[in-house]
Amino acid sequence: MRTKILTTLGVVALAGVASYWTASGVPVAAADVGPQMTSIGPLTFGPDGVLFAADTQAATIYALELGDKANGGAPGTQGVDGIDQKIAGLLGTEAKEVIVTDLVVHPRTKNAYIAVMRGQGAASKPALLRVDGAGKIDIVSFDTLKHTKVALPNAPNAGTNPQRDPRQQSITDMAFADGRLYIAGLSNEEFASKLRAVKYPFATADNGTSVEIFHGNHGQLETRSPVYAFLPYSINNQPHLVAAYLCTPLVKFPVASLQAGTKVVGTTIAELGNRNRPIDMVLYKKDGREFLLMSNTARGVMKIPTDGFATATPITARVATETGGVAYETIAAMKGIEQLDLLDGSRTLALSRSEGTLNLVTAALP
Amino acid sequence: MKSRLLLLLLALSLPLTACHRAEPRPFGIKLVADPAKPAEAYIEVQGLDERRLRSSTDLQGMLSVNVKDPAGSFASVPVAGQYAAAGDALRFRPAFPFDPGRSYRVTFNGLDKRLPIQETLTMPSAAPTAPTFVTHVYPSGDVIPANELRMYVEFSAPMGRRPGLDYITLLDHRGTPVVDPFLPVDGELWNGDRTRFTVFFDPGRQKRGILPNREMGASLVDGKRYTLRVSRDWPDGHGQPLRQAFERSFIVGPPDRSPLDVSSWRISPPREGSSDPLVVTFPESLDHGLLMRAVGVRQNGAPMIGDVRVDADETRWTMTPREPWRAGRYDVVALGILEDLAGNRIGRAFEIVSDDDKEEDDSVMTFIPFSLAR
Repeated sequence: MRTKILTTLGVVALAGVASYWTASGVPVAAADVGPQMTSIGPLTFGPDGVLFAADTQAATIYALELGDKANGGAPGTQGVDGIDQKIAGLLGTEAKEVIVTDLVVHPRTKNAYIAVMRGQGAASKPALLRVDGAGKIDIVSFDTLKHTKVALPNAPNAGTNPQRDPRQQSITDMAFADGRLYIAGLSNEEFASKLRAVKYPFATADNGTSVEIFHGNHGQLETRSPVYAFLPYSINNQPHLVAAYLCTPLVKFPVASLQAGTKVVGTTIAELGNRNRPIDMVLYKKDGREFLLMSNTARGVMKIPTDGFATATPITARVATETGGVAYETIAAMKGIEQLDLLDGSRTLALSRSEGTLNLVTAALP
Repeated sequence: MKSRLLLLLLALSLPLTACHRAEPRPFGIKLVADPAKPAEAYIEVQGLDERRLRSSTDLQGMLSVNVKDPAGSFASVPVAGQYAAAGDALRFRPAFPFDPGRSYRVTFNGLDKRLPIQETLTMPSAAPTAPTFVTHVYPSGDVIPANELRMYVEFSAPMGRRPGLDYITLLDHRGTPVVDPFLPVDGELWNGDRTRFTVFFDPGRQKRGILPNREMGASLVDGKRYTLRVSRDWPDGHGQPLRQAFERSFIVGPPDRSPLDVSSWRISPPREGSSDPLVVTFPESLDHGLLMRAVGVRQNGAPMIGDVRVDADETRWTMTPREPWRAGRYDVVALGILEDLAGNRIGRAFEIVSDDDKEEDDSVMTFIPFSLAR
């Protein structure tokens, strides 16, 4: 009870100010209520169940404190057939008006959170849904959610044509590791492949540092290259990011190399085949071994043992066959996967399309 | 007894309301929509016993609304929203506005939840809007390099949220679609009001030596003619198809792997005292989107604001100042992000050799000075 009172007092004290200071003297953005999101794209969970949600249209990342929206549902997630139709019904529209942008599992309750855009043009609205262990779908209303946010910096402008739309960035993926939120994005004009790191809790005047991620190929030529999916991963106790580009090299780079103003070239550890785009990655352990499970647009779901990541020979020569480097296995049973996350220690949760219908499915880890 | 007295008092103090209540409204299920504010439409079950309605603790159990899908069946999950008692009416406001032209089935179970009455109501259709059409495709020129990096498709009005690449086809000179020429991007790349769609050619196909390029070949072959086709079926922001399909043909020239060289830019200075445009011409077409923001003019280091125009197949940039030119020293500035059609930047080609690489910095500016004499 005492704690409750103290918390309430704390919130009241903070309500009137734009920021407060942590013990280390860094100004931290104060929480507000009712995020005014214009769109909703990639999601990822951070510490204490805070849900990071990207408003790609406004180039802003919201840290949503789910509060009671994180509790109250039956724990876990039960699969739901025809979930696109059910979500559409709940939102008062038809399935083709609903575009799913991401799926994540709450680290504690194991409830699923699904981000969607409802509708087409100017009337299009973001929505967040929760699916619980009984398969019940609820809308998570933004109206009462506490949140902080960070805006990505405006695109560079020479200053002569200042009316030019300053927001040029799309956000392709996010992951949280070691106190930082990593955000991969792509500009709608210059061919940039930025990876931005923002400290959390968000500071008032810090929109993070950004590095340009390069893809080295086999003729010693390098280009900027957009990262499509990535996750934090420790190699020899050193924090790394393992990332997949389009067409589909798997690369690793040490987090320590992600310094502002430096150029980062990932080390290619596998070539996973062309005409393909990675969608999601999860890490899991089974029978004492660790695996990376990666869903793709064209090449199904790949199971990749990670024990070779540290020692994999970087691919610097042309691979003779279609694929090369660290070996992988395609999981034939997992088809039509559009979104993938880890449900618990033994199952995956996925949005999978079959004969035009989107289903929320759980499956044993392969 | 007490409540009767209260009602009497209320009736005396609010004669107008009391009048209303003397003649209760007939029972009815209505969709209340103000044509000026369709997003605020709600459903009301009217003519109910006010007292029983007010004392009910489960309004949601009395009423459910289910959307009708295009096949004619009703969704199994009721529409989410808020329920409230409003006088003699039970009111339902959906969490998201009802869609124009869509039908909803309302099931009223009675105040005692034993009397299901169903009615299907339809939201008024939105006023017809002029069909959207493609206004321009950049680059504007007839010839593009074989390693062209991107195109912009501009529309007359905001477009919908269906994946754009489903509606864009690249046809070769025989009219056969090129397989997977474009880069798929989650969320896709639009400007703020969704009137410009950015299409990236898949750089994996354009870059030399990497797997997709070796296996599938380049998307664009030097010397061949191609057609970019935009399907009429692409739904605009009102869910309507385009006015018509759009096609643009172009010829592919040799790949361009040279960095931009500002020494080849030509500056035509305006006359001092005039408001004539400053004209900068380039030896090749540059990226339209980037020309609009990555090129500028500075006077004594401070940006000059003006009206920017890009034409002549993106080989000419003009800036008309808001105030007449004064004598002095000026610079045309170009940001490090400026690219040509193949993604080459100033002093740095799209494909670089690893060994002689330098750190890349978007904020690097290149200055090209010029002076206006009195």
